[in-house]
Amino acid sequence: MKTCPYCGAENREGVLFCEECGQPFVGQADVPDTSRLDPENHETFKGRMTWGTARFAEGASVLIRIRDVAEPLVFEPGAETIIGRLDPSASESPDIDFAPYDAAELGVSRRHGMIRRGEDTLTLVDLGSTNGTFLNGQRLIPHQPRVLRDGDEVRMGRFVFNIFFR
Amino acid sequence: MIDASRNLYAILGIPPEATADDIREAYRIMARRFHPDANHNQGADVQFRDIAAAYSVLSNPGDRLRYDEARHHFHDEPAYFSLRAIPSKRVLSTLVEPQVLYLLLDIVPAQRVISARRANAPMNLTLVLDRSTSMRGARLDKVKIAAHHIIDQLSPQDVLAVVSFSDRADVLIPATSVTDKTSLRSTVSIMRADGGTEIYHGLAAGVAECRKYLAPRMVNHVILLTDGRTFGDEERCLALARQAAEDGIGISAMGIGEEWNDEFLDALAAATGGSSAYINTPRAVLQFLDERVRSLGDAFAERLQLTIAPDADVLLESAFRLNPHPQPLEVERQPIPLGTLEKNRSIRALVQLQMPPSSKAGFRSVVRLDVTGDVLVADRPQYKVISDIAVELAHEPSPEQPPTAILDALGKLTLYRMQQKAERALTQGWALEAARQLENLATRLFAAGQDELAHKAAQEARRVSRTQAFSQEGRKSLKFHTRQLLALPEPGNDVP
Repeated sequence: MKTCPYCGAENREGVLFCEECGQPFVGQADVPDTSRLDPENHETFKGRMTWGTARFAEGASVLIRIRDVAEPLVFEPGAETIIGRLDPSASESPDIDFAPYDAAELGVSRRHGMIRRGEDTLTLVDLGSTNGTFLNGQRLIPHQPRVLRDGDEVRMGRFVFNIFFR
Repeated sequence: MIDASRNLYAILGIPPEATADDIREAYRIMARRFHPDANHNQGADVQFRDIAAAYSVLSNPGDRLRYDEARHHFHDEPAYFSLRAIPSKRVLSTLVEPQVLYLLLDIVPAQRVISARRANAPMNLTLVLDRSTSMRGARLDKVKIAAHHIIDQLSPQDVLAVVSFSDRADVLIPATSVTDKTSLRSTVSIMRADGGTEIYHGLAAGVAECRKYLAPRMVNHVILLTDGRTFGDEERCLALARQAAEDGIGISAMGIGEEWNDEFLDALAAATGGSSAYINTPRAVLQFLDERVRSLGDAFAERLQLTIAPDADVLLESAFRLNPHPQPLEVERQPIPLGTLEKNRSIRALVQLQMPPSSKAGFRSVVRLDVTGDVLVADRPQYKVISDIAVELAHEPSPEQPPTAILDALGKLTLYRMQQKAERALTQGWALEAARQLENLATRLFAAGQDELAHKAAQEARRVSRTQAFSQEGRKSLKFHTRQLLALPEPGNDVP
């Protein structure tokens, strides 16, 4: 068996595209043959792949953990939370500002993306950014919301962070 | 009388100079692979009948001698078409778990035969046209124009019949050779829209007309055009289609607009090796019918049938015709009709197999493929090619990149399957799952550069999570357009 790096589904050996989500397996030498792993290692390997819940309860808050930064950002999302970087020359400022983390060099746009609050879910929207927004490795279609799940990895340009629900 | 048109040695997988012992041994091996007691695959059953028949001739010295003599006439017979099969891996690892193996099949007409032979094979074509109330206006007008266009294209050697139907069927033009085009055209013009949609009546009348001139040297085909659902007579229609396929009649089905039952039309086409298509504007009717008739007119061989006979421990999971006219194939019924082999286009299909767990290294047989067809350009009925596919199993095979052609085809097929999966999830009432599949599909389509379809998929994903339902238009459009991605560009086809 091999585990899809995108959706975590188990696929039989020889399968070339994940039968669950369509992720291509070719040229992915780093996808291990689980049949050659012992059961203990297997578990730790799988741990990261499982999906978190998509349910975002009332009164919950969002925790953003930026790669290589110890202190997470915590906030309670409003109807729309704009993510980007503050530019002194521009009048608008984003709700979540990544400027202190070298966001400009890493390709984050001023208004890069947005977290929108639904009934009991959060969705991530790319606002037509220059370098794109990637949710768990998949590029978002600009202005098309995608449901966020607890633990999802988001990449804006080359700026990587994880989103957790608290 | 011994039928020498088949190569019995090839069926047993031995050279013509084989000894009696060789023949017995070959039969023993084949029986172990395909005998119905050991192998429950539909295709194996079909193969074993051929094998047993071949053995009964070759194992009898007198019969073998007579067969060899009769076979002389076929010695300089050219290879009319060939069958190529590429596996996704040539060397598999030995594994304690099952693994998947893909095969890409190409059935290729021999160019040498094409250039040496005469022009197009004559056509025996029947149009079955929906004239129910909902066709009134632009739709019926376009259908008439398309029918006129087809009449203009046909030549006096061709036979045409036109049946119109609503809740009853009228034979507008009984099967006749296309000589008086003016009167044929005016007969089509008087068609008026009225009544409900009952496909069976129309189809039955159409198949009956087609049967009148049914001939192995002709392309016998029924084209059904409808904009509606038929209620309660689907099973009768499918039974009729299967009977038609056995008699050598192909059926293509085209749905206009949003109401028709695509699964039913798919099944109808698959039963005969025909094709089905989705036409979303009345204007596209002409283009589709035109393409279909042109493709039939280019026939090199007709009534192609494929048998896929996996070894007893190999599982046949699915098969899909990629080109021409992408269409899922029904592997539960064998032989599988593949329809027409055109002069300039090969037939391409992708087969998915599951190999059993195995710890033994070495070569092993996987599947026997068998294609039979009537070669129209050479008046050679039931020409057959056989291909036995084998792979090697090794403990530590060196890494192997799957062939690009397989990756390309499978990548696109995956898109189509994701759409199908979303549909299935929704019919089970799992709206969230369906929405998730559609979101995945949108992302993959976007990555594949299909922006327009990606947006459509994203749109449907939102609609599904909001309303727990597809839009009819969106669903069909996604299904048939993702399917259409599979078609190879057509050589020499300059349709705008």
